[in-house]
Amino acid sequence: MINYKVSYRYASSLLKMAKDKNILEKIAIDVELIKNVLKENIALRKMLENPVIKPHIKTSILEEIFKSKIDKETMNFLQFVIQKDREDLLYDIFQKFIELYNEILGIVNVDIKTAFEFDDEQKELLKNKFEKYLNKKTRIGFTLDKNIIGGFFAKIGDTVYDASIQHQLELLKKQFVSSGPSLN
Amino acid sequence: MAEVRPDEISVILRKQLSGFESEVDIYDVGTVLQVGDGIAQVYGLSKVMASELVEFPNDVFGLVLNLDEDSVGCVLFGESTLVKEGDTVKRTKRVASMPVGEKMLGRVITPLGVPIDGKGEIDYEKYQPIERKALGVIQRQPVKEPLQTGITAIDAMIPIGRGQRELIIGDRQTGKTAVAVDTIINQKYTHTEEAKNLGIKPVYCIYVAIGQKSSTIAQVVAKLQEQDAMHYTTVISAAASEPAPLQFIAPYSGATLGEFFRDNGKHALVVYDDLSKQAAAYRELSLLLRRPPGREAYPGDVFYLHSRLLERASKLSEDLGGGSLTALPIIETQQGDVSAYIPTNVISITDGQIYLESNLFNAGVRPAINVGISVSRVGGNAQMKAMKKVAGTLKLDLAQYRELEAFAKFGSDLDKSTQRTLAKGARLVELLKQGQYNPVPVEKQVMSIYLGTNGYMDNISIHEIKHFEKEILEFIEVKYNNIFEIIKKEKQLSDETISEIKKAADEFSSIFKESE
Repeated sequence: MINYKVSYRYASSLLKMAKDKNILEKIAIDVELIKNVLKENIALRKMLENPVIKPHIKTSILEEIFKSKIDKETMNFLQFVIQKDREDLLYDIFQKFIELYNEILGIVNVDIKTAFEFDDEQKELLKNKFEKYLNKKTRIGFTLDKNIIGGFFAKIGDTVYDASIQHQLELLKKQFVSSGPSLN
Repeated sequence: MAEVRPDEISVILRKQLSGFESEVDIYDVGTVLQVGDGIAQVYGLSKVMASELVEFPNDVFGLVLNLDEDSVGCVLFGESTLVKEGDTVKRTKRVASMPVGEKMLGRVITPLGVPIDGKGEIDYEKYQPIERKALGVIQRQPVKEPLQTGITAIDAMIPIGRGQRELIIGDRQTGKTAVAVDTIINQKYTHTEEAKNLGIKPVYCIYVAIGQKSSTIAQVVAKLQEQDAMHYTTVISAAASEPAPLQFIAPYSGATLGEFFRDNGKHALVVYDDLSKQAAAYRELSLLLRRPPGREAYPGDVFYLHSRLLERASKLSEDLGGGSLTALPIIETQQGDVSAYIPTNVISITDGQIYLESNLFNAGVRPAINVGISVSRVGGNAQMKAMKKVAGTLKLDLAQYRELEAFAKFGSDLDKSTQRTLAKGARLVELLKQGQYNPVPVEKQVMSIYLGTNGYMDNISIHEIKHFEKEILEFIEVKYNNIFEIIKKEKQLSDETISEIKKAADEFSSIFKESE
């Protein structure tokens, strides 16, 4: 829980700094890159989380990997986080940063679960439907889940749009049982 | 043999299922981060309201109590073992509420309105939120009708009005519950035809048992049934084995049900037995939710816990139907210590207190009411005129008696007037003794006190007082019954009535013989 507050604080200060210096888009691309690298490289993440490894070694490793690929300000931020002993939260910080950045751009993330792979046309159709409904730009991530049987299950923030067969069967079951005593 | 055709079955199935809509269902969710001790920390649920009901898997419901920056603290109304870390929590978009209605009378229910007496479902009228704001000044009027407890000492000296909040306080085993149950039993007369003709409106009773033994609750229910008092009473049970959140909301449920009667222009009496246990349950919740502890480890808002509950007792203005909600909270003290945290809080909130003492109880004075320090701040306005008249002298006589009580052991060494005061006081104390489940109608109370304070019992030996009282009340009931009728109707003691009483009392005194 404390991690949430810390990563929020670091992410929002990076965002504010980038906005002030007018390099927000550039930083956002860098952050996306680093986040993806961290996501894919477990070894790198383990290294950052390891308290035995000295900070200056961590800094030099990150420098070697990213120096030529990212902006100077982003590099400075990485060094700053390491200096403050928060490098284990780097992934959370960048995730939070992207959330905040999307909020500024008016983009919402939609996680969609389907039982079968949609083809591109269907995906586009669903995306347009959601953009029209939410009146916002969307970034849609698709995952497969056989358990929902059919239909789709979309999650935007904490709100769920549930049109899955599994959920409908649950509702039907509830309707049958509800003739008995219930809590409310 | 009758045949069942398959196509018939499918028609029925289709009909039953046709109401089922298959639309996109939109709801808000969160994830359980941590669960234990009846508390769940939930991540997500970003739009949830404070005190909203949320639904966990396995039909466990929870109540949102803490809204933190990044998580939501819920208390669980069911088994916390049914909820796991990572479970999905759904919003219900409904604050905690319970069903209310006339059909609740005669039933035993949980604080969420689910019947537990095995008599089947209850037809309710509507759902009402458990936590409601108390009424403002405009909607109220002063207390003006009496609520007869049937206990002479209380009705005479600590009168309770409809809409009042009167605290019953005392150590364990001093008869606190007995006073409350007697009061409920005495409301039976308000449901009779006779009371209706006299303009006395019926009082519906709600007994809220918080943190008590299930056997004790069963005993109370059985007693109420035996006394034919259950048909106008609802028992809300949050026994000691129930989770703390249920014990915490039980009094609010009682108030909600009482408000249903009040808002329909009826009169309700709610007994909260007892609020010390509710405070302890709330302390448990608060500590588990990591709210900072204060005095006696109670959280900072424990005063508000009780004040917002007891503020809901009220007498509605005539425009709103003139209904009332009377509250009889009960507080258990430890070793007579009324200066502990919770007792002082509740004493300052209520409109007076009935103080029960264990040494009086052990000395055989039952009900063990200490009339010296018991008060009722507003009930006097509601008291019947006749009772007010006789109770004034009674209070004075008893006060003088208490002042001189310490000298009683000197016996015949005392002067005549002191001896007289002591003798009279001892007889009045004896007169105010009363058995349990034995409520006395108000006209008989007036008569007994009149006779006691006007010297008709001065020559009777103390152990014969109760016998004398019983006989003379029977005598008057048979021979001079119109006196009782007049007191009931006129509600005051006119000079004619007094001379009538004197005549009857003189006649009886001349024929009364003490038993051997």
